[in-house]
Amino acid sequence: MLAVPGGPYSAERNLPPELEANFKHRYRTDLPWYEQYTFDLSRDLTGDLGMSSRLQDFSVNQVIKEGLPISASLGIFALFFAIVLGLSAGIVSALYRGSIADFSLMSLATVGIAIPSFVVAGLAIMLFVFVIPIFPAAGWGTLRQLVLPSLCLGLAYAAEIARITRTGMLDALSQDYVRTARAKGLSEFMVAIRHALPTALLPVVSYLGPAVAGILTGSVVIEKIFAIPGLGWHFVQAALQRDLTLAMGLVLLYTVLLYTMNFIVDLSYGILDPRVELK
Amino acid sequence: MFGRTVFLIVMVVTGLAAVAWAVYGSRLAPADFSFTNETEIATVDPALATGQPEMRIIQSLFEGLGRQSPKDTHFAPGAAEKWEISEDGRVYTFHLRHDARWSNGEPVTARDFSYSIRRLLDPLTYSRYAYEGWYLVNGKKYTLASELAAGDPVEIEMNLAAGVPNTVRGELLLGKLVRREASAAKSNATAAKGDDAEPKQDIFVVEIDGKERRFKVAEATDRVPKDVERCRQVLLDFREVGLKVIDDYTLELRLTNPTPYFLDLLAYYPLAPVNQACVEKYGSPDWLRPEHIVTNGPFRMVARRLRDRVRLVRSDTYWDRENVKLNVVDALSVDDRTTAFNLYMTRMVDWDTVPPAEVLRELLKEPRNDLNPAPQLTTYYFLLNTTRPPLDDKRVRQALSMAIDREEVTRVATGAGEIPAYSLVPPSMPGYHKQECKPFDPAAARKLLAEAGFPEGQGFPRIEILYNTDQAHQAIAELIRKQWQNNLGITATLRNEEWGSYQDSIQQLKFTVARRAWVGDYMDPNTYADMFVTGGENNNTGFANPEYDKLISDAATEVDKTKRMELLEKSERMLMDEQPIIPVYFYVSRNMVRPWVRGFYNTLQDVHPIRDIWIDRSVKQDDPRPNEYMEPVK
Repeated sequence: MLAVPGGPYSAERNLPPELEANFKHRYRTDLPWYEQYTFDLSRDLTGDLGMSSRLQDFSVNQVIKEGLPISASLGIFALFFAIVLGLSAGIVSALYRGSIADFSLMSLATVGIAIPSFVVAGLAIMLFVFVIPIFPAAGWGTLRQLVLPSLCLGLAYAAEIARITRTGMLDALSQDYVRTARAKGLSEFMVAIRHALPTALLPVVSYLGPAVAGILTGSVVIEKIFAIPGLGWHFVQAALQRDLTLAMGLVLLYTVLLYTMNFIVDLSYGILDPRVELK
Repeated sequence: MFGRTVFLIVMVVTGLAAVAWAVYGSRLAPADFSFTNETEIATVDPALATGQPEMRIIQSLFEGLGRQSPKDTHFAPGAAEKWEISEDGRVYTFHLRHDARWSNGEPVTARDFSYSIRRLLDPLTYSRYAYEGWYLVNGKKYTLASELAAGDPVEIEMNLAAGVPNTVRGELLLGKLVRREASAAKSNATAAKGDDAEPKQDIFVVEIDGKERRFKVAEATDRVPKDVERCRQVLLDFREVGLKVIDDYTLELRLTNPTPYFLDLLAYYPLAPVNQACVEKYGSPDWLRPEHIVTNGPFRMVARRLRDRVRLVRSDTYWDRENVKLNVVDALSVDDRTTAFNLYMTRMVDWDTVPPAEVLRELLKEPRNDLNPAPQLTTYYFLLNTTRPPLDDKRVRQALSMAIDREEVTRVATGAGEIPAYSLVPPSMPGYHKQECKPFDPAAARKLLAEAGFPEGQGFPRIEILYNTDQAHQAIAELIRKQWQNNLGITATLRNEEWGSYQDSIQQLKFTVARRAWVGDYMDPNTYADMFVTGGENNNTGFANPEYDKLISDAATEVDKTKRMELLEKSERMLMDEQPIIPVYFYVSRNMVRPWVRGFYNTLQDVHPIRDIWIDRSVKQDDPRPNEYMEPVK
């Protein structure tokens, strides 16, 4: 990070050299890089991630404390949309395989994966904020302000989940035990939901790991467009404004989050799949 | 199977509950007036802030000796109710009003101003605007310890004990500086460069109470030679600075030079007072939290949500609270200009400070009742690196300037009604006659270029235009490149750098032609003129002319107002002849303001104090009566 030009204190107006030296001393950028690294590492290990150099009134911990619940809410909502939409589309597609419903849903899914989230956001804003004014344009504070951003963020993942579910369902529906269930006289609906779906869910669960990663990083664009004060926005600004402590703190946080999420996904395998044993 | 279902249900329910908690836990009642404030502000500390978004909020929270009146930004009484200025313009005596109060009920006194101005000058405050205090006698010497010389009275601040807030001053020792001993390390490494940037390495020999003691700026853990004492800093004795507290409500300021615009500076936030007890109790930056901060302005800060909003509520201790009409104000920190515009168009905010340029072009095609661009005290110009041939030849620089069709630039590339600029200082500076460079004249430009040795542009090296990454700057640079190509036959390339790198490149003169903009700090040509003195930090062109320097320093000490303006006019005349810069256009403001917002005026410095704004609920969107903002600009 120190290799990038500009520093945490550069500004429009230049200062006399003595004052510049003061700033360098304050931000420890006059020390050799290994000393700075040791200082920052030992401080981070005590749980104190340092002071933000651009948001001068706040420490990195305070920034994270304010932004994390907001990004988490956005992410959870987006995941929720993604799973609900994706699962429904996938199941319907699998059950009515080969029909027009199947074809159109899967085409929509492909389109949804291909279009970047900010294009979707732009279209959604035009459509649902100005043409049909049902949602607010931006901001944070009410549930209505959360709907559009979550939709835009979750759409690509809904599409992916739809495709995975469809494949999984088709696979499960052709298994022997499903034929047994049908032979026993269960309705098609019960067969699909109670017997085929749990098996089909496993690939979806394993996709959730990368999905969370994607939502965490994709939220950066959505948060900027919808003015949501979450971590993604802090992250971009920290990079653009050379706020080194904040950028480093957020990178550490993201790493921890991703590891944890993947770990939970692995654990949940043990719970969901009777074939897998937790040791 | 049962366990699995339970697990899933628990996950889903927890997830949704978390969402609901995060969203509803943060609900706020709607505000009377909301506006978009361009970005998340860096700080609320008046000594540390530097930008316009910060100014809008700090001006509402803190009030200095005076304030800017809304219609013409003239200096109006604030914490001071009257003042006298001496004949020679150097001594200002302020009489503070007796009913000015902090938000905790304590009175605002002259001691508060003394504390705050000293704090602004203190190098440990790291204020970028410390130079606002340098107009005072010895102000600069107080901030720059490198200027201390033998014989000066000094104050030595000792190190703080552990656990004491960083804003408290250590024990002070007062004495006289006998001599400075440069440390061995410094003299070896930097003596060759003559670099005085590390005075902290010096050992100060100071006579205190008849005894000589040796001091070095060092922390408790640093190693120092045996007979040297550690201290926090060594500064000029503050009693030498031109500031005197005569009594609780009388303050005297003594300036080095008669500065006609000094009153305007006092209305600007760096010279606003801060509450000493609050600052010293909580330390920096904790004293700035909404639950701790003590302010004396028309509004209090009740909530600050990062990258969301700052909520201001009318102060019930402010001396003029009867005339503050707004009760709850939200300043939204929206970075994205399109999003800010969307918020304005859906009526979620009533004032959009900077709509996107492309949108403005469309909007200006029809008359509107909420958009009235007005000239601003900001100039867009190009820096020419005079140390790089062929730009070291005056004729080449003038040719480059004369080959730019500024009308085309403002019509095509910017499109919000910007004004072509042929001078550095914007028009409407009272008492100042504009000094313009030569107008657009491609034939004359070609002739000059030929005289300089590049007929038809042959042999002219490829030059590079540097700008900071932004669509608008790219469009302008691209157009100018084409104009130079067509009018002079020279080739130019474009280079864009992100803001931090661009700043570095400009400072280190690593460019040939670079885009720049300068916002005037106060309504006086000096804010532009004194940039280009030899070695000035904001010169960045290599322009060095001792005659120019003399004109500027003469103007600083000239008492007669007319003569002073003439000196400044002469200096700009010199600048326009030598052309180390090419002025391109003057900015126009682009505020979009709803018709029911009253008390909002177009001003040259784009300052709109929230204190004077009020909402007229009887006005509807299509009301034919224009509000004050829509008054035609003179």
